Amino acid sequence: MIMKRMVAIVEDEPAIRDNYAAAFAREGYVVRTYANRSQAMTAFASRLPDLAVIDISLEEEPEGGFELCRQLRALSPELPIIFLTARDSELDAVSGLRLGADDFLTKDLSLAHLIARVNALFRRVDALRRPTEAAQIVRRGPLTLDAERMQVEWEGQVVLLSLTEFWIVYALAHHPGHVKNRQQLMDAANVVLDDNTITSHVKRIRRKFQSIDPKFDAVQTVYGMGYRWVD
Amino acid sequence: MSIRLKLLLLGLATLVLPWGGCRYAREMESALREGEQNSLLSVAQTIASSLQGRVDLLYRKPAHLEDAGESETADDNTTARPSEPKPTPYDLRPILLAAQPFLDGYVEEWPQSKAAWRYYFARNPAGPTGATGQHKFGILTGVFERMLYVMLDVNDEHLVFDTPGASPLDPNTFGDRIWIGFEDQDGREHQVFIGATGPGSVTARRIETGEYGQLTAVNEPRIVGALQSTPRGYQLELRIPLSMLGERFGVLIDDRGQRGADPVSYGTLRSDDLHTVGRLIVASPELTTYLKQFRQPGLRLSVAAPEGRLLAQVDALSEAAVLGPERGILAQFYRRFVDRPGTRRVIDSAADIYDREHKQIIGTLQVAQTEDRWLILRDRALTHMLNLTLVISAILVVATFIFAAWLAVRLSRLRAASESALTREGLVTTFPETDASDELGDVARGFSTLLHRLNEYTSYLRTLAGKLAHEIRTPLTIVRSSLENMESEGVTSAAGVYLKRARQGSERLNAILIAMGAATRVEEAISNAERMRFDLVPVVQSAADSYRIAFPQRAFATEVPEEAVEIEGAPDLVVQMLDKLVDNAVDFSPEGATIMLRVRLEPQAAVVEVDNPGPPLSAETSGHLFESLWQSRAAAPGVPADSDSRPHFGLGLYIVRLIAEFHRGAATASSLPGDSGARFTIRLAR
Repeated sequence: MIMKRMVAIVEDEPAIRDNYAAAFAREGYVVRTYANRSQAMTAFASRLPDLAVIDISLEEEPEGGFELCRQLRALSPELPIIFLTARDSELDAVSGLRLGADDFLTKDLSLAHLIARVNALFRRVDALRRPTEAAQIVRRGPLTLDAERMQVEWEGQVVLLSLTEFWIVYALAHHPGHVKNRQQLMDAANVVLDDNTITSHVKRIRRKFQSIDPKFDAVQTVYGMGYRWVD
Repeated sequence: MSIRLKLLLLGLATLVLPWGGCRYAREMESALREGEQNSLLSVAQTIASSLQGRVDLLYRKPAHLEDAGESETADDNTTARPSEPKPTPYDLRPILLAAQPFLDGYVEEWPQSKAAWRYYFARNPAGPTGATGQHKFGILTGVFERMLYVMLDVNDEHLVFDTPGASPLDPNTFGDRIWIGFEDQDGREHQVFIGATGPGSVTARRIETGEYGQLTAVNEPRIVGALQSTPRGYQLELRIPLSMLGERFGVLIDDRGQRGADPVSYGTLRSDDLHTVGRLIVASPELTTYLKQFRQPGLRLSVAAPEGRLLAQVDALSEAAVLGPERGILAQFYRRFVDRPGTRRVIDSAADIYDREHKQIIGTLQVAQTEDRWLILRDRALTHMLNLTLVISAILVVATFIFAAWLAVRLSRLRAASESALTREGLVTTFPETDASDELGDVARGFSTLLHRLNEYTSYLRTLAGKLAHEIRTPLTIVRSSLENMESEGVTSAAGVYLKRARQGSERLNAILIAMGAATRVEEAISNAERMRFDLVPVVQSAADSYRIAFPQRAFATEVPEEAVEIEGAPDLVVQMLDKLVDNAVDFSPEGATIMLRVRLEPQAAVVEVDNPGPPLSAETSGHLFESLWQSRAAAPGVPADSDSRPHFGLGLYIVRLIAEFHRGAATASSLPGDSGARFTIRLAR
């Protein structure tokens, strides 16, 4: 039997913390819960978890989660970090992702979705550690989508997408030319987001591709309907 | 009434000052007049007392009587003393003439005074010349300087002239003759006659008895005159020097029917011996000389007989400095306000002149003075005072007006600031006038404080939805995660029903939270949005396509121009705006209605209009429609208000406004013509 993965939950609200802990435990994860940054850092100093779920505001520190993310990333550049927060502002999401978080989820997300995202993230980590397999790979022109490793390449270069962004690109690229409305994209990404957040995700995806290829325009907006992938 | 006007009126109230000045000037004038009157009275009394007992001056006591003094021994027994002349019907009282009459036989240049005329009739009107002839003549006498003027108006049916060239003493040549009889200064009686040979100048002649008893007619050159015929008879004007005349004077008319006939004689001379009956009561020329020593410019001195007849006068009234054009326009202007209408320009005073015993009034001394003499003084004072008060008034009015204007500017600035304080973006907290130290400053500070508080409150309200959403999210997460955990743990089927309901409720709560945060997220999206140029037409058309799918119970029509409508902005936001408008239109239109999406071009703007049939907008509503959290849910007929489970917070149109403003445009709403629905018009800058 493989060693059970350890998930660290840093959340100042005890009820939520315990509910999440229970859900993760039911999935067979070893769960460690911490109420604040100092507790968490003390524990992380002795042993790093396999994945960290962090709330942004922690007790006295309204932005404690960001600071924790930074410190954790300093300890381990590869450790998957998920922000799980009641905040849903664009700015927070951008800041969180920029600090190196792998995903930014709001607490609207159901537990089942959360578990699915965590599983997916673990799958990506595992896949990245394994040698490349061609099985799950989708190619669309310069685009290479590795569903197993949840990795996207454009013209051979890796595009660093967050998990949500990956699923959006995956859903679009899987059926090129088909218009995917926002709801379909949300379903694909296993997130509950409002229209604006989808719009900003799409915008971020375009920007990430454009940083590699300024002429990138494969993701098209169909006004009033949604988006589609154009080869 | 604006404050400016009120203060101006207040400033005009200072015009009371000149008004008061005028009142004061009038008071002053009355006082001055009274003083002047008093001094004039004392002048009159002084002169009058200096004339006390001077009957000789007043009534020209003949020279031969002067020596006699009080022991009067006149040969005439009609009166003992000239000072108490017993009046007879033949006494003539000459009036004082203002100017020298021109000796032409016409009466025009004489004073038109009926009362001064005396009339005499023939004792026997039925004379030999005929019963029809009314023998009557009027006599008017006057004195100018040292001359007596006589005007005779004779009624005569037949004016008969002397035979020209004939001897004036030949009775056959006699025409109508006029006899003048008088006493000289020495009391001797003289007679002269005037027999005219035609109209015009006449000569007076006296009859002298020569050495041998022969009678000769001698011209009397000192007496001159002129005769004119009139429809009734003739007029004779004569001038006789007063120095020739004594106490008595009379006129006799010899009226002849034809040359040489026996005359009808009548008049103030005895017709038989031509003895003078009547006296000439006239002032001495010396009286005028006497009065002249008191002569002053602007003063008129006159002496009148007790019965009111003027005896002598020294008139220098008009010589006073004339207050005319030289008074200046301002002074004349002021006078209009000060002078009471009908104010006399002359003040006068009178004092009685008594006889020596101070028993009987022998005359009246009258003094008149023009006001002009002291009006100059008053005018000067008045002009100065009025100038001063008017200048003060003007300064006050101007100052008040400037102050009022300044105040009004400040007030309108305050008003403008308070009106614009409640902007869509929030409150303007910088307020004008707060540095002022006066009450307006207090008001401004009060406003500013109030606005600050209101601002805090408003921004609190604005963020309340977001904050509330955020705060509720945590407990909601507890509930939801607990429910999910419960589900995973497995529950009985009975409990499962409740669990499902709890899940549904929490989902709805979650939807509410998302809606509550929508405006905040749109604001964020707007602040992060990137502007690009894009064509509005395909955006609207593709959006309409999606609405046809999303709302199958409504029809969607589009109306777009042929050419591209390029604007600068964010197409995503425009679509979002359309979403909200169409949401709104669907909510308020009955099932099966056609919603019109229209794009049209204006010179400055691209206009997007969304029309929906349904209830019109009330005027009261349309002003608030685009405000945050404004809600007017009167659903369209046939559309139950709670037909959908989407929560409404009145944010949809607010978001429309935010997006319109992001595109430097504006959102307006109006009712469709005929109140058949509502139209939302969004102008986007091109």
